[in-house]
Amino acid sequence: MKPPRAMFVPFMMGHQFGPPFHSAVQKRILQEMLNLLTTVNESPTIYDMPITWAEVRTEARAIERQLGLTT
Amino acid sequence: MATSNNTESSRSETDGQMRPGLWHVVNERYPGSMIRKDDAVELVPLAKPISECRVSFVSTSGVQPRGTMPFDTVHPVGDYTFRRVPSSSHPDDLEIHQLKYITSGANRDLNCVFPIQRLQELAAEGIVGGLTENFYTFIGYNMAPELLEATLAENIAEAVVESERADVVVLAPA
Repeated sequence: MKPPRAMFVPFMMGHQFGPPFHSAVQKRILQEMLNLLTTVNESPTIYDMPITWAEVRTEARAIERQLGLTT
Repeated sequence: MATSNNTESSRSETDGQMRPGLWHVVNERYPGSMIRKDDAVELVPLAKPISECRVSFVSTSGVQPRGTMPFDTVHPVGDYTFRRVPSSSHPDDLEIHQLKYITSGANRDLNCVFPIQRLQELAAEGIVGGLTENFYTFIGYNMAPELLEATLAENIAEAVVESERADVVVLAPA
């Protein structure tokens, strides 16, 4: 497609906005995408988001425990 | 935030490719199934602050309102239709018809593939100016790229730009 601004998130298919119930990461990904609207000056630009699945999955497990979704 | 270290332009087709040669194999086995595109879409600067922009969302997730015609997920050539998803929808009003990606996460929390509640929050908080009345979805398994480009892509683009009057469109794969 070669869009003018793109962001790569190193997550598996079906989880482009992060793990389930991790609202903060889901919103952060959207906000970083929107940030590209004002920070990118050249087309095409691919921004590699500095984030790992391991860190957000660990956080998501803690969130699920807090929500009582897992033991 | 984008920084010079994390921002790349003109990245080559094979940089970072986890399976080098994959595209060659796909083109060899499924001739014509991929469009090679060398020219990027021209960068258009925002005409107004993001906080005043109407944002739309286009997704290959196959998410659709309950009760609408399910996507044809088993057609050998694909399904070239799209669904309108009201941006005010609650995840409980929506379902997924898609076989080509893992839905274990999305079945528990739709927002991890279709972040509709997060977009609603961004609008409620004034971070974006608002949302288009509808978001747009289709399924990613489409083996006739020329047909996809000439029909599905054009139809969604027309709807998002002319009917929804979007200032910004977020495109997301699934």
